[in-house]
Amino acid sequence: MPHRTFSLFILPSLLAMLLFVALPIGSVIYQSLFIEHEQIMVEVENCGPFGCTTERRVDAEAMAQLRAEEPAGRWNGLGTYFNAGHLAFERIGQIWDRTETWGQFLDQAMNLPFYKALGFTLAYTFIVTPFVIILGFCIALGVNALPNLAKGPVIFFSLLPMIVTPLIGSLVLFWMIDSRGIIGATLQTIFGDPTLSLKASPTLTWVTLFVYGVWHSAPFAFVVFYAGLQGVPKDTMESAMVDGASRREQVRFVVIPYLMPLVVFIALMQLMDNFRVFEPIVGFSAEANATSLSYLIYSDLRGQDTPLFASAAATSVLTTLGVIVLLTPVLIRTWRDFNRKA
Amino acid sequence: MTDTTAADAKLIAPRRRRRSATAKPLPLIALSVGFVALWVIAAAFPFLWTAWGSFKVEADFFSRQNWMNAVTGVQTLRQTGEAFTMDGYEGAWIEQEFWRAVINTAIVTFFVTTISLTFGTLGGYALARSGFRYTFWILIMALIFRAMPHVTLVSGYLLPFFELGIWGYLPTTIIVLVAINQPFTLWMLHSFFLSIPKDLDESAMVDGCTRFQAFRLAVIPVMWPGVITTGLFSFLLAYNDFTVTSMLLTAENQTMVPKINSFLGSTQAEGKVMYAVAAVVSAIAPLFVLIMFFQRQIVSGLTAGAVKG
Amino acid sequence: MARLQLKNVNKRWGSYVAVKDFDLDIADQEFLVLLGPSGCGKSTTMRMIAGLEDVTSGEIVLGGRNVNNLEPKDRDISMVFQSYGLYPNLSVYENIRFPLRVRKVPKEQHHEMVMTAIRMVELEPFMDRRPADLSGGQRQRVALGRAIVRKPTVFLMDEPLSNLDAKLRVSTRAQIKNLQSKLKTTTVYVTHDQIEAMTLADRVVVMNKGEIQQVGTPTEIYDNPANTFVASFIGSPAMNLVEGRIEGGTFTGDGITVEGLKAPSGPVTLGFRAEDASIVPSGGQIAAPVYAVELLGEASMITWRLGEQLVSVKTAKDYRAETGQMVEASVPAAICHLFDAETGKALPR
Repeated sequence: MPHRTFSLFILPSLLAMLLFVALPIGSVIYQSLFIEHEQIMVEVENCGPFGCTTERRVDAEAMAQLRAEEPAGRWNGLGTYFNAGHLAFERIGQIWDRTETWGQFLDQAMNLPFYKALGFTLAYTFIVTPFVIILGFCIALGVNALPNLAKGPVIFFSLLPMIVTPLIGSLVLFWMIDSRGIIGATLQTIFGDPTLSLKASPTLTWVTLFVYGVWHSAPFAFVVFYAGLQGVPKDTMESAMVDGASRREQVRFVVIPYLMPLVVFIALMQLMDNFRVFEPIVGFSAEANATSLSYLIYSDLRGQDTPLFASAAATSVLTTLGVIVLLTPVLIRTWRDFNRKA
Repeated sequence: MTDTTAADAKLIAPRRRRRSATAKPLPLIALSVGFVALWVIAAAFPFLWTAWGSFKVEADFFSRQNWMNAVTGVQTLRQTGEAFTMDGYEGAWIEQEFWRAVINTAIVTFFVTTISLTFGTLGGYALARSGFRYTFWILIMALIFRAMPHVTLVSGYLLPFFELGIWGYLPTTIIVLVAINQPFTLWMLHSFFLSIPKDLDESAMVDGCTRFQAFRLAVIPVMWPGVITTGLFSFLLAYNDFTVTSMLLTAENQTMVPKINSFLGSTQAEGKVMYAVAAVVSAIAPLFVLIMFFQRQIVSGLTAGAVKG
Repeated sequence: MARLQLKNVNKRWGSYVAVKDFDLDIADQEFLVLLGPSGCGKSTTMRMIAGLEDVTSGEIVLGGRNVNNLEPKDRDISMVFQSYGLYPNLSVYENIRFPLRVRKVPKEQHHEMVMTAIRMVELEPFMDRRPADLSGGQRQRVALGRAIVRKPTVFLMDEPLSNLDAKLRVSTRAQIKNLQSKLKTTTVYVTHDQIEAMTLADRVVVMNKGEIQQVGTPTEIYDNPANTFVASFIGSPAMNLVEGRIEGGTFTGDGITVEGLKAPSGPVTLGFRAEDASIVPSGGQIAAPVYAVELLGEASMITWRLGEQLVSVKTAKDYRAETGQMVEASVPAAICHLFDAETGKALPR
């Protein structure tokens, strides 16, 4: 296809992506280097019947003008990145001096908002992803063994947790684990502890979110594996049977190697999706015990009266760096494959 | 020949009686059926439970005494005189004007899906048919864009949109969702067009078509399966989006998902949590129907990226 | 009707050379076959003639006009694709009519032109069917019909028979030959099957690794291969090739000695065709234990293993020998071809 034709075809799509995906990344970097204007104070003299008092007040008019002139705020360089809300090098240094053991250090460092969010995001990403793959694989093996008639309905119900909006899916579970909901109440009865609440303890909240994550994404892995199972080469399977492999050995030496590329594919998709975990935290109202990087940005933009653009932007840039680190192995591999082919 | 194989079989398995070569042992079947049954309950029960509960009053759905109340509806009967009530739905749809959010969602999903597909088919086709190196870079760029958390992009939009005065409107949200959706749509349609033989559009071109005519006359008539599958996922992205819609829309322009979230902020405190439950069930219902009709396309769409490696 | 010239045509993708210095003059009404193994650049050459690939350097001249920068639609060619490229949503009739529609041929002429083409490819009973309801052979004929409906200046055919089963291939091959002799349109035909090339072509171009190996009539190529590649590619079985040395007009290799050759001393490759040699009771140039005996029906094939190579000779169908038995064969100097051991080029006989 000549370059000209190609560019005409790709133009709308490329333009949309450049304007609303690439440009915002630039915008985020720009915004992160600025910070909200300082309050402009004026002294106002208030004179009443009992004499005059002077009062310091925010000059709303001047502020509005300043904001109009420099909407991004004033230049702050990398200041926002290093402040207490983000990388907090100073605080980390203090904690390092104060604490004696690694455990203590990590414990205290994890109380800093950015590290707390980073910790949860990474934990979520790297715990949910393997469980999704394992559970999805088991379901696929199970469904594959069912009679054909039952497969359709099973797949239908299996798709529900994935297709349903994450926020809505988490709300549905959230209401059920409420201490007055069916699961919450049942757990209280089982453990004989009327104060037991999945929402109260940080550990239980984390576990709840992990369980939700696996529940939400397992269908994806299941469907991919299930389709993969249909394509396991029959010849290889039959020659394994003839060679005397037991059922478990057939899975171990034929099925799993054949599905390995799919594992890589699912892992890649899941790492990308889980790293931006956000909706379940809103749905489970879990922000007190678990925040993610995405949630930090959201609360900067939404939590206060005026959005904290600089703080949100700095977190966004750091998150983007995280995504790139996560994707690097994939990109390197794709690049190698591409060069080998060329 | 027959004699020897029979003898061989005896030699290999002298004692074990075999039902047939491929039949699975009973415990294995029981195990896999049991496991799948457990999974199906875990996957479907929460939705069925919530759908059932949405026709009850709060005292039943969130029963302090006994979860069986939600099934039998003791409090519902006492408070409303009947075992089922539409109170939650009335409150959400009429009192809280959930219908507005439904209309907004319909507008957003319709336009996001059609525009995404239009852009995506053109771009995906070009990527599938051009042999130049830059197609690889465009696809890699799309992969990176696909991995970007949406909220980081939103934090990039917010300030410029305020400044330009385009914040809060449906068209802004639509084009943003289209753009966020493009990487996925491009990849999906790119691999779909690769599966349509090149011979088809090339013979059209030799027969006398320009590239665009070949696309229109030879490719469009056969591309619908792939477009429908991709369209489903574009639809789901727009329908399910919370991040973009909750931050880029004014309260009156809100779509369903952010609207439900705002119920939690305001309405839950007033003991109107059943409104949210009713709204949630209302939002799930169309998805339920969607899976029913398009199960096969969804499955093939999910595997499309995987099959080609 | 037109003459088609390719002048020093090259095609490169990055550092990969697909076609190198392709230089050929195809006469009007000629049936030219491009023959070679997959990846030899034959399809790329054809696609450059069609305008589906750009030419990196060189010139393509069609009917005296440089067409390098013309779109495929402006070159007045028609092409039959390997997987036919039929429009699945159109009936057979509409498929064949498609080129007329998009080229804005006046509507009144359509029916007659389409019907002529349909009759030529014998598809009248299937006119209203969709491609999906046709057999492979019928689909192939739809593609042919679509190619001939508007008398183009050049026909291009890209392995049109490779998706058919063996029997159908033979009959369709005859049909194509018949069509071309009736229409007298210049035709370029790409194939990897040397029998197709031999039966159809006026001239054959043998290609390998993007380069022309030899151009000639089927007989020339069969009888006088220009190098070892052509020798080993043409013929079934291919020419026997044995490595060895010539000293004073005598070739010596593993288990084979041929006298009376006219060539300077040194290492050479000796070639001869299986059907030219014969089994003899004694005094043969080959004397070695038999490796395999195959019955072909009309003949038997005796194979020896000489050094690294397998060498075969055809003999009477009732000839019998055991594996390992000593058998001799006569390979007179007159049937032998000699090739340079290094370059593989044929040495003058």
